[in-house]
Amino acid sequence: MAVTSATRAVVAGPSGRRRRSPVAGYSWSSLLYVAPALLFFAVFVIYPICISVQTSFYEYDGLTLATPVGAANYVAVFTDPSLREALLHSLVLLVFYAALPVLIGLVLAGALSRIRIYGLTFFRAALFIPQVLSSVVVAVAWRGLLAADGPVNDTLRAVGLGSVATSWLGDFDTALPAVGAIGTWVQYGLCMVLFLGGIVGIDRSLYEAARLDGAGAVREFRAITLPALRPQISIALILCITFALRNFDIIWNTTRGGPGTSTAVPSVYIYQDAFQNRALGQASALAVVLTLLILVIVGLVQLALRERSEIRPRSLRRSGGLR
Amino acid sequence: MLSDRTIDPAKDIMRITSRTFPARRVLLGGLLGVSAVALVGCAAPGSGSGSTAARQDEITAEVTADQIADLGDVTLTLWADQAEEPLMDLLVPVYEEAYPNVTVDVTYKSFDDLIATVVNAANSADAPDLFQGNIGYAVDGALVKAGLVRPLDDVASVYGWEDGAGASTLAPSRWTEDGSTFGDGTLYGMSPISEVQGIYYNESKLTELGLEAPESVEDLEAALPIAAAAGETPIMLGNSDQYAATHIFSDIAATTQDPADIRAWIGGDPDQTFATDGNIEAAETMAEWASNGYFGEGYDGLGNQDAIARFADGDGVFFVGGSWNGAYLDADAFGFGALASGGVGATASPWHISSSSDEAIASIAFLDMLRSPETAQWILDEGRLPVVTDGVTASGALQEQTLDALTATIEAGTQVGYYDWTTTDMLSVMGGGLQEVMAGRTTAEDFVDAVQSAWSKEHGGA
Repeated sequence: MAVTSATRAVVAGPSGRRRRSPVAGYSWSSLLYVAPALLFFAVFVIYPICISVQTSFYEYDGLTLATPVGAANYVAVFTDPSLREALLHSLVLLVFYAALPVLIGLVLAGALSRIRIYGLTFFRAALFIPQVLSSVVVAVAWRGLLAADGPVNDTLRAVGLGSVATSWLGDFDTALPAVGAIGTWVQYGLCMVLFLGGIVGIDRSLYEAARLDGAGAVREFRAITLPALRPQISIALILCITFALRNFDIIWNTTRGGPGTSTAVPSVYIYQDAFQNRALGQASALAVVLTLLILVIVGLVQLALRERSEIRPRSLRRSGGLR
Repeated sequence: MLSDRTIDPAKDIMRITSRTFPARRVLLGGLLGVSAVALVGCAAPGSGSGSTAARQDEITAEVTADQIADLGDVTLTLWADQAEEPLMDLLVPVYEEAYPNVTVDVTYKSFDDLIATVVNAANSADAPDLFQGNIGYAVDGALVKAGLVRPLDDVASVYGWEDGAGASTLAPSRWTEDGSTFGDGTLYGMSPISEVQGIYYNESKLTELGLEAPESVEDLEAALPIAAAAGETPIMLGNSDQYAATHIFSDIAATTQDPADIRAWIGGDPDQTFATDGNIEAAETMAEWASNGYFGEGYDGLGNQDAIARFADGDGVFFVGGSWNGAYLDADAFGFGALASGGVGATASPWHISSSSDEAIASIAFLDMLRSPETAQWILDEGRLPVVTDGVTASGALQEQTLDALTATIEAGTQVGYYDWTTTDMLSVMGGGLQEVMAGRTTAEDFVDAVQSAWSKEHGGA
């Protein structure tokens, strides 16, 4: 009983809404309800995407008549060494923007849900603030924090680590990790709140049972919390990976891709091509490739997490599981 | 409170995406594919231009108040750089009083925003009548190439812009008809504001160190080790925007080379090259200064705006920068040394008349007023430098020094403009490359070769 109610809470959410078959439920009247949203989606998302795809096959400055160039823009995307370097930077940023926030979020959510802290609501809200702030504000604030004589270095010097202090965003070796750390700071709050929400849905009696069986905090986390949070982890990863790969504003407002090209990512080149070089075809081709790349990686994440659901506890699977 | 109810929507998203994903994906994919194919079958982008050229007669005499009165009640729409707001606040009321049937409506944009959007705005169906572009291929070149701006040769000759010392400042707004090279040809824009690069210095620190005010790059170079030995930051530099160091490079490069050759290279003359001994030397000097600590620590992590703020607060002995930084500095505590050998400098963003404007003569009257001696004095009072310098009086020593520096460099003809005018991506190519040289990660030779190869993609040549 305890297990099934927990499962239902995870699957259907606390509101306990009636589940419907995904396909049979469609009807024309329901389409009417989504029509306004669909219209906006079509005009402001689908149509621009199509225009981008079309533009990517042209050489176009945004003013004069475009010249069709076939796949030349795509050839350029795949042969430009600076774009390969940028893609490599993106992969490094995945660690900082996706892997670390999820890990930190898990640890924090586990801790916050387990330990009774006075003023928990305040801490939850405070830790979520980075997610609420405008990314330009975040970038400007961190530029100050990470400056050669900024608070980060002052702290390092105060604890005797003055030799480590450097201009974090201005040094070729530290700029990329420094920009990555900002992303970690922005994203972990979102992960934490997602996970906390998931943990709320787990039946307390599961933990009691585990405790009676002599499970420690770590065992409890691995055996109960982690499997139950799989859908939230999937969502968190998808959001964070998308954020990482299309990240532009934080990088542009801290380093502009520099020093040199040490923090340049594909979106920096998209911006430069589109708005500085007026090479809209080239920019569109790169944007299309980046979009496809994000879709592929997100698809892989979904696939990976779905396969692993086969090893979920028997009881959860029998009751419908999380498909 | 972040209750579980707050989290509910996220979970619902999760349910929808994970459960009905395949069906949706196929549907969306199909929709995208079909629309894309449908669109690709359509006309090429840019086939239907937004703006249409209006009938604009050449003028043979100065525009009269009666002519403008004949336009009836009209609104003149302007797009201007945010920095022009104080000037516009003075000028617009005077203009509206002189031409009561014209209402002037100014839209201000930050410089970055302006240059990113003005070309598209000029190409739209309701283009502003009068707007600021930016010298070089990225903005002005695009405007000329697409025929979006009115030629101003008739205006220049009627209003005598080509006479006097300010005449040479029109050159960067002259373009060949196809918009392929600039510096010579048809006039398409006019800026009433000049910019000059020089060496700002902290007067009390110079006295402490026993140094004279620098009048050249050589003076500066001699002073740097003395300042460094005294534990000062010799040159305050903020290079995270990647352009400040290229300006200093430009000043050093101009000491050993003919500014006319540098100008020609920037203008896109295919016979010119960036791979010169002078440029290699200048890049090596920059690297040497950087490794000697003459730019202080962490200059690549500091923005130019932050650097000027620190310099104003007394950090650093010198600041190599343009006259547009002068407004931030206390005129009693700082001085300005000219670089007569040449370097960065030109005019601020030029004004253009839209080729689709029906009120072109009203715009012409506005441009005339912008270039008047009265406006020149206002410009100087606002802490900037006018193109028309006859009869203006400077207030304070720093303003006078800056004005003298401008007169000197304009008379010597050594202003080269800005390197980033030459191709649309030169700012990041040269700025990023110079950062690598200064950090000792590439050689000066590789740097100049990389810059030249990016340049020749646009302009041909070696």
